[in-house]
Amino acid sequence: MQFFLQVALSGIATGAIYGLIAVGYSLTFMTTKVLNFALGMWVMIGGMLTYSLIARMGLSPILALPVVMVSLFVLGVVAERVSVYPFLRAGSDVWVMSTLAVGLLFIDFAELIWGRSPTPVPSYVGSEPLRIGPIVMLPQQILILGTAILLFLLLEYFYRRTLLGKAFRAVAHSAETASLMGINSRLIQLTSYAVAASLAGLAGFMVVPLTLAEPQLGTVLGLKAFAIAIIAGLGAPGGILLSGLAYGALEGLISGYLNTGLRDILGFSLMILVLFIRPEGLFSKVQAERA
Amino acid sequence: MAKITRRTALAAFGSAITTPMLRLPAFAQFGPIRIGYAGALTGPAAFTGVDIRRGGELAIADINSRGGIKGRMLELVARDDEHNPVRTVAQYRELVEREGVVAMLGATNSASMLAVAPIVNDTLKVPVIMPATDATAITENEAAKAGRDNFLFRVGMYGTGQGNFMVDTAVKKLGFTKIGLLNWTGGWGVTGRGELNRRLRELGLTPVADETFDSSDTDMTPQLIKLKNAGAQCILNYALVRENTFVVQTKQKLGDTTPYISGWGIAGPAFWVAAGKAAEGVLTSSTITIDGPQSPERLALLQKYQTTFKAPMEAPYSVFGAYDAIFLFAEVMSRDGIDPAAIRKGLENVPTFKGLVKQYDRPVFTKDRHNALTEDDMIMCRWTEGKLLEITYDAGKPTVATDVRTRRTLDPTDLHLL
Repeated sequence: MQFFLQVALSGIATGAIYGLIAVGYSLTFMTTKVLNFALGMWVMIGGMLTYSLIARMGLSPILALPVVMVSLFVLGVVAERVSVYPFLRAGSDVWVMSTLAVGLLFIDFAELIWGRSPTPVPSYVGSEPLRIGPIVMLPQQILILGTAILLFLLLEYFYRRTLLGKAFRAVAHSAETASLMGINSRLIQLTSYAVAASLAGLAGFMVVPLTLAEPQLGTVLGLKAFAIAIIAGLGAPGGILLSGLAYGALEGLISGYLNTGLRDILGFSLMILVLFIRPEGLFSKVQAERA
Repeated sequence: MAKITRRTALAAFGSAITTPMLRLPAFAQFGPIRIGYAGALTGPAAFTGVDIRRGGELAIADINSRGGIKGRMLELVARDDEHNPVRTVAQYRELVEREGVVAMLGATNSASMLAVAPIVNDTLKVPVIMPATDATAITENEAAKAGRDNFLFRVGMYGTGQGNFMVDTAVKKLGFTKIGLLNWTGGWGVTGRGELNRRLRELGLTPVADETFDSSDTDMTPQLIKLKNAGAQCILNYALVRENTFVVQTKQKLGDTTPYISGWGIAGPAFWVAAGKAAEGVLTSSTITIDGPQSPERLALLQKYQTTFKAPMEAPYSVFGAYDAIFLFAEVMSRDGIDPAAIRKGLENVPTFKGLVKQYDRPVFTKDRHNALTEDDMIMCRWTEGKLLEITYDAGKPTVATDVRTRRTLDPTDLHLL
């Protein structure tokens, strides 16, 4: 039982990282049907920026977080304008490639700016392991878990209760109709991309003490997060968190009881299975939204 | 802006057609003797690739300052293969056929060297000395097996030897019988896992657990608990800095003090930078360490590296290996000339050599042994307070020298300092 709890909880802590990143895919997809395929690299930029601010410049994490999020928001505005909107406007799907190209550029720039060696960033909440009965967790893992849950509550509130959130949903439903209702669809598209970038910055800020600062830190994480967003359904932010946590726990249990080599085979097979049975994802409602 | 006259136009035309000609092999005899290098100068493996180039450049600077090879200067022509075998192959051709290099420093990726080995032996026919790539099959290649001329030589770690050395150290020197394995599923980890299993089998042992992890694992809790529950007294590992950092961080989190022995992927300062105190007590096999007492020759090179590049040395085995490789080439070229075939033959006939990785009082290479370093030349080191200290055995007990005067014995069960 102790073994079960330890591997499941360690897995859930990793799953929270996936969930935190995966929500970014849903943000842009819901408004414009665009996916930032390089989201993992944006997470990396957030992480590397955090490293510069905290480990090199000695800024406190509380101050570094807004700097990172605002920087990535601005970067998101620029990237959307340059690499997504021109293709979207022309009705082309080339943004698939151009978002990836931006990500590859990020990796190369990161190598030039920060070098290639993995460097540590100290945990924001201490590194003394926490013991909950027989279970051991790192404080940073618990912080990530808490942040992920808080973020999803905020998003839920944003979508349901705020005017801007409702505008987001309206544009998601039909950009044209929303425009006719006086919503600036273009602005919403731009904002959703930039907010997704900013949240990637938050994810990078949160995970970098666990993953080490290095230009490849987000690549695989972004891929797994993508699988989770697909499993949950791109239109269901709450489902994405749950799927992330469940996926993490599953990974931990597969590694613990079976074999690490089987983990990704089972994980990605699950994604294909879900796509097969429920193409819209486990948590997405099939156009059930009231018009 | 200068006006283009007929004369300048003619001069420009003239230099445009003659400059490329100077690069042709036929003209090479008037210029410097060129040594080639293709390896990762960007990307995750660049820490070792750049250090190979730097080691080569420092050696060439030293040789040139003493007058070069019979008055001719040496020159290093480097290419970035991005750790990609396809690029390595193309660049080897380019370096030999267009740049006219007469010898090469080996790449950073074993897969690259496995890909170029048959081309080097059958077509290009230039000698290569490798400081970093450890796959056994690179030197024990088809040409070697068929008794043809083998152009590939190694001054770094070689795979089979390292596998033997790690297992033998754990079993014979440190006395562990229940060995657990924890390896990376990336290329190097896979071959390493094979070597460890092979050696354990040869000694009549089976690992009590044979765990793996991949590059996306940042938390190794399940694997480490399984190893502990299986009763592993000691864990053997092949992985690089990043993955090993996650292993030791998780070990620290779990309060797991099981001895941990890794291959030479973490035998450089980068590991301590990444893992910090969590790396304390980790053992790693290596061919060289720049911590602890050093010879004056090594100290001089460390000093030169600092003043030339103003950066910390990330891969000592690459710097010192490349340095030795260039000096080996130089010694043979001064004696046997600069024909690539003659250099190759000459390398098999260097009776003694004062290298910086090792001082050889036996032939560095022979016709049948293209690995300069054997298992007996490998060293086991322990990460101790930020330093990689060589373990020596005092009446059978493992010890490390924490400073000039103090030798401290390691606890036989968990290898902490007594």
